[in-house]
Amino acid sequence: MRDSFDAVVIGAGHNGLTLGAYLARSGLDVLVLERRHEEGGGLCTEELTRPGFLHNVHANYHTFVDMAPPLADLEVESHGVTYVRPDVQMASVFDDGTALCVHTDLERTCASIARFDEADAETFRRLYTEAHGFVGLLLGTLMYQPPMSVKELTKALASFGVEGRSEFLSVKLRRESINAFLDRHFSNPKVKAHLAFHAAVCGYANDLPGLAMSFPLLVGKIDNWNLCIGGSHRLAHALWRDMAQHGGVMISDADVRSIMVEDGRAVGVVLADGTQITARRLVASTVDVEQTFLELLAPDAFPSELRERIAGGAIAHQPWSLFSVHLALSEVPRYEAAQFDPDVDRAWVVNLGYASTEQLDDDWSAARAGRVPKMAHPNAAVNSLYDPTDAPEGCATGLLRQIAPFSLVGSGPGGWDGLARWYGRHCIDAWARFAPNVSGSVIDWVPYTPADIPRKLRNMVQGDWMMGEVSLENMLDRRPLPELSQYRTPVEGLYMAGSTQHPHGFVTFAPAYNALSVIAEDLGLEKWWYDV
Amino acid sequence: MSIEQRKTYDAIVIGAGHNGLCLAAYLQRAGLSTLVVERRHEEGGGVNTEEPLIPGFRHNMHAQYMEFYDVMPMITDFGLEDLGLRWVMPEAQAGIAFADGRPPIVLHRPDLLDRTEASIARYSRSDAELYTALKQRAQAMEGIVAATLYSLPVAATVETQQAMIEAVFGEFGISGYFASKTTRALIDELFETPELRALLYRAAVEWGIPLEESGLAGMFLTYGMWTFGNWKLSLGGTHTLAKAMTQACYREGVDLLENSMVEQILVDSGRAAGVRIRGGREILANRLVASNADLRQTLLDLVGPEHLSELWVRRAKAYRYGPSHVLGTPTFCLREAPAYRSARFDPDIDRCFYTVVGIESDEEALRYIRDAYSGRIPEPGAGTWVNSLWDPSQAPQGFHAATGWYFFPPASALSRAEWEEVGSSYNEAFLARWRASAPNMTHDNVLAHRLYTPDQMEAKNLMREGDFSNGEFALDQLGANRPFPEASNYRTEVEGLYLCGPSAYPGGGVHAACGYNAFKAIAEDLGMGSPVRSERGY
Amino acid sequence: MPDVYTTEWYEAVRDAMNASAADLPDLPDGSFVVAIEIVGDGISPYVGTEGRRFLVRIDAGRCSWWRETLDRAEERREAGGPVDYRFTGPATVFDELAAGIGDPIDAALRGIINVRGDVRFLLRHADHVKALLDAYTTRVATTWPRGRPPYDGSPGGSQGVLPGAKGESASA
Repeated sequence: MRDSFDAVVIGAGHNGLTLGAYLARSGLDVLVLERRHEEGGGLCTEELTRPGFLHNVHANYHTFVDMAPPLADLEVESHGVTYVRPDVQMASVFDDGTALCVHTDLERTCASIARFDEADAETFRRLYTEAHGFVGLLLGTLMYQPPMSVKELTKALASFGVEGRSEFLSVKLRRESINAFLDRHFSNPKVKAHLAFHAAVCGYANDLPGLAMSFPLLVGKIDNWNLCIGGSHRLAHALWRDMAQHGGVMISDADVRSIMVEDGRAVGVVLADGTQITARRLVASTVDVEQTFLELLAPDAFPSELRERIAGGAIAHQPWSLFSVHLALSEVPRYEAAQFDPDVDRAWVVNLGYASTEQLDDDWSAARAGRVPKMAHPNAAVNSLYDPTDAPEGCATGLLRQIAPFSLVGSGPGGWDGLARWYGRHCIDAWARFAPNVSGSVIDWVPYTPADIPRKLRNMVQGDWMMGEVSLENMLDRRPLPELSQYRTPVEGLYMAGSTQHPHGFVTFAPAYNALSVIAEDLGLEKWWYDV
Repeated sequence: MSIEQRKTYDAIVIGAGHNGLCLAAYLQRAGLSTLVVERRHEEGGGVNTEEPLIPGFRHNMHAQYMEFYDVMPMITDFGLEDLGLRWVMPEAQAGIAFADGRPPIVLHRPDLLDRTEASIARYSRSDAELYTALKQRAQAMEGIVAATLYSLPVAATVETQQAMIEAVFGEFGISGYFASKTTRALIDELFETPELRALLYRAAVEWGIPLEESGLAGMFLTYGMWTFGNWKLSLGGTHTLAKAMTQACYREGVDLLENSMVEQILVDSGRAAGVRIRGGREILANRLVASNADLRQTLLDLVGPEHLSELWVRRAKAYRYGPSHVLGTPTFCLREAPAYRSARFDPDIDRCFYTVVGIESDEEALRYIRDAYSGRIPEPGAGTWVNSLWDPSQAPQGFHAATGWYFFPPASALSRAEWEEVGSSYNEAFLARWRASAPNMTHDNVLAHRLYTPDQMEAKNLMREGDFSNGEFALDQLGANRPFPEASNYRTEVEGLYLCGPSAYPGGGVHAACGYNAFKAIAEDLGMGSPVRSERGY
Repeated sequence: MPDVYTTEWYEAVRDAMNASAADLPDLPDGSFVVAIEIVGDGISPYVGTEGRRFLVRIDAGRCSWWRETLDRAEERREAGGPVDYRFTGPATVFDELAAGIGDPIDAALRGIINVRGDVRFLLRHADHVKALLDAYTTRVATTWPRGRPPYDGSPGGSQGVLPGAKGESASA
C-alpha cells in the first residue's frame, strides 16, 4: 500500500466515499479507509436469508433523490444507480380493516385521507403544497450548507415575516412537538397516526418538543421515497467507482487505530497492523465522535475540556433504536385492508397498525425505558414490489422494523440475543394479522437486533442509526457539539464529515457535502461543484 | 454515458467473478471499452466474504486459501497491493487432529520444512524424509507450475508426462509409470503412515485432485505437492482480492453492471454480437463477448444449440459437474479457537491455517470421499479454517470466526427437503466430532453456526451442482481437454465468443488464469499486445 | 416614470435600494454579485421567450451597478467570476414584483422564485435584504406602456401568480 496521500478519509460509508470522490475530482490524491470488509457503511445489502434475496441491512430509503447535490455532481446515475419512486409510497393499515395510502399523486393521497376525514385531506393538501414550495429552498439552505443556529433562523423567519405568509411555519414550532402540530391542524387520529409514523421512519419522534420545526419539511418530501434498484449497496459501488475513476483509492479491512498529530495538525493515520499513512493536506473522520476523539486522537492532541465532555457522555444518541426482521418470502403480502383500498397491496412501506399518535408515544416511552414494546407495530417494506432483481423470480424480500430500545432493562443490549427469535416471530405475527398470507409464505427469516447494529457498524453507537439524537438540543449548530458543528475540529487539518454532523444520518450526503465546502475554503479549492 | 443506457461496448464479459474481472481489466487497458455484466449484487463470484451470522464475524463462503498470489500476473500488472490486497502466510499450514489425542501431523510453510519433517517423523522417519524431499522438488518447480497455469494449455502426451515425472522425481523411485496411477495409489505406495495418508487424501481432494481417478497422480505430484503449504490468507477475507480487482477495473474505466442476469448471447451471422439481459435490454459488443459462466449455461442456455454444430452441442451436453469440488460451507462464531487434544504433542495444530477434523484414519478419509462422490451424505468431517487467528479483523475482539468445507454430493443428488434437513442438522453432528478432537468446542463456545449447502451455492452463484470448479476434474475434462478439446483455447465455435471462467483451462481455483489466458487468446486474435512479461516468463 | 427594464428604471431601482439601505444600521461588509434570471413565459410583454438577465453588484450593502447580460458566459465576464446569488423565476412573477403587487418572500417560499447561493448570509442579514427587496418592489414608480401585471392568462390567472397579490404590497 502506498504510504502517503493528500487526503485520508476514515470510513467508506456514503459520506466518506462522497467526500473522497469530490476531493479526487478536485485533483487530490485521496485514500478512503474502511474498517469493514465492505464499503458503503449503512449502504449495506446482503443475502442474509437465502441466496438471491437481497436485504438492505441498514439504509433502505433514499429520500433525497433529486435534492442531494452529490447525486448529480458525482454522476451517480451514470455509474449504474437506478432509483425507483414507488407510486404508492407508504400506507397504514388499521385493525378495523381500513387503510390510508400516500401516493406520489397528491390527488390520490388526498382522496385516501378524505375517506377518513375530508377536512384533514384539505389540510394535508395545503400543508403539502406549501411545504413542497419551500422544501427546495430550505433544504438547500439548511441541509446542504454548514448549519446556522436555531436563534438566527427564527430571527430571520421573523424578519422576513414568514409567519404571516405561511399557514404552517411559525417561530412557535421550535417549542412544539409533532404531536402538537398534528393536533393543531388535523383531527382524525388515524390521519395523525400516519403522519407521525412517517416522521418516525424519518427518525423524528413525534412526542419530542421542538421537532415540529422540521415537520413541514418532512411532509414536503413525503412522496420522495426512492428505492435503489438492486439494493442500497449499489450506491456505494457507484460512489466508490466515481472516486476510483478519478484516482482515489478505497481500502477495505483497514482499521484506523490512531490519527497522527504533529504540532497541533493532523498529519496521517496509523492502522491496526501498524502501517502509517501520511496525509499531506487533511484527515477527515466520518466515524463517531467518541471513537474519533477518545480512541483515534491522543489525549494531548486537543483540549482536555472537550475530551472530558465527550468522555462524560456529552454526545447525545437517539434513545431508541430499531429491531429488524429480514424475510425471504415466497410471494408478496396481500393485505386484508386491500378490500378497503386495493392500493395498499402496492404500498412500498406499510405501518402495521399504529392507529393513533398515542400508540406511537407508548412505543417511544417503552423504548426509552429499555422495554420492548409488547404489542409490536412494525412497519413492513417489500422492495420486490418495485425491484424485481431483489428476489428470485416470483418471490419477495421483506423487511420489518419496529421501534425498540438498544439496551434492555435488566439485561442490557446483550439481552437481545436471547430475545431475537421470539420477538422476530412476534413481529412476523403482527404482519400476518394484517396480511394473512405472510404466515405461509415465509421461506426463511433473520432477526437483526439493535445490538447487532453497532456490531456491524461500530460508529452507530448504542444502535443509533442516526449517529446522534434528532432533537432540538442536538440540531443545527449544536450537533454533535457546538465546537464541532462546523466540520472543523480543534486539530488543524482534521475534519468531521460523517453523520455525527449536521444534518444527521440517513442517506443525505449532506455531512460530507458540507464538510467539503469547509475543506474547500481552508484549502483554497475551486468549488467546481457549486454553480450559483 | 450511463451504464444503464449505453448500448454498445467493444467487449462484454459475462460474470464478475475474479476471472471476469481479470479479463475485463486487461481488455480495457488494451483499449477496448469493456462492460462486465454480473447477475449478483456483488462482484467476486466465489471470492466472497460475508457476515452470514453475527455481524463482525466474517466468513469466506467459497474460496478460502490463496496459493497463487506470488505468481498471479494481475497483481503486479495492476498494482493490486496498492488497491488493498494484503495477505499473510501462516507458518503452520495444514494439519490433521485426532479425537484420541494421537500426535497431529502438521505441514508447514516451504521455508519451514524441518518442522514438517519433524511432525511426520513422529510417525515415520522415512515418510518424513520422502515427503520433505518431494516437497522441495515440487517447490522448485514453481516457475514451471506458474508458466503452465498462465499459458494456453498444450496437449501433453502420456509419454511427455511420464518423461517429466521421471525427470523430476525419478531419483525417489518414481518412474513414469506412476503418472497413470490414481492419487490414492500413489500416496499409498509412497507413504506408510495412515495419519499422513488421511491428511494427504483429504488435502488432495480439497485442492481439486480426485483420489480414485486413474492418471491423476502426476497432477498430485506436481501441482498438488507444490500447492501444499503455499497457502496465503487474504487479510480481511478472500473478498479483498475481488475488491482490489474491482477497483482496478474502475480505475481502468471498465463498466460494471450488477443485478443483471444475461439471458442470451446475441449471435449475428455466426458472430457473438452482444447480450440480452433479463428484462429485455440488449447491449451490443463490437469485438467480443467473453463468458465467465459455466460451459453448459454459456453454450446451451445463452448461445443456444441453433447456433452450434452438432458436435459442440453434444460436447456441451456431455460436460459433467461434480462430484469433485462440491462444497458445503459451514460457518461458526466462536468464543475460543479450537484447542485440540493432539496439541499436547504439537501445539502447532492449534495454530494451523487449515485443519482436518473428524477424520480419524485413511479409511475414514476414503469412505468420506466415496460417500460424497456416490451421492450419500458422508459421516461428518471437514477441513476447517479459523482465519481470525491471523487476521483479528475477521472476528470481534476476543472472538473467533471459523469456516469449513464439507464435501457433499452434487446438489441434484438430494431433494430440496433433504438439503434443508442436512442444512439444519449436519453442523451439529460435525460439532460433536469436532468436540471429540477439541473438547472446548462446546455449545457454549459456539455462539452461532450455519451451513451453506450445495443447492444454495448453486442458487447463489450458478455454480452448477455446487461444483465450484464449474466442471468435474477428470482426465477428459482437464488440461487441453477442458472443457473439451475443441474449446480448450478459450475460443468457441461462435466467432467473437470466448470462455474465461473455470469451465476453461485450468479450472476452478483463485488463480485468475482463465481470465488471463482468455485475454492472451483474445489479444492474439485481435492483434493486440501480449500481456506476457519477460521477467516472469508468462 | 421609467418603463420597466430600461436604463432609467434600473438606475431608479438602484437609487431606491441605496436610499433604503442608507437608513439601516450594520450594513454587511464585502461585495456580492447577484444575478437575476428572468425566464420568458410568453405572457409578459416585457420579456421575450429568450428571457432577460441582469446583474446587481452590492458593495458594503449598497448597489454599485447593474448590468444586463446575454448569457451565463457574459454574466461571468461581467461579474469577474461566478456570481454569489442567483434568483430565477418566470417573467410574469418578476413583473408583478416590479409592479409592487407581488411578494418576493412569498415567491421564494412557494418555490416560484428559485434562490441559489449562500442563503445563510441572506438570513443573517434579513433586515437589510428585506429593505432592498422593498425598494425593488415598492419604491420605484414604473410605467407599463404594454400593460401592467397581473396579466390575463398568467400562471396564477388574472389575480396574478402570487395569491394575495392584488395590488397591495407585501410591506403594506
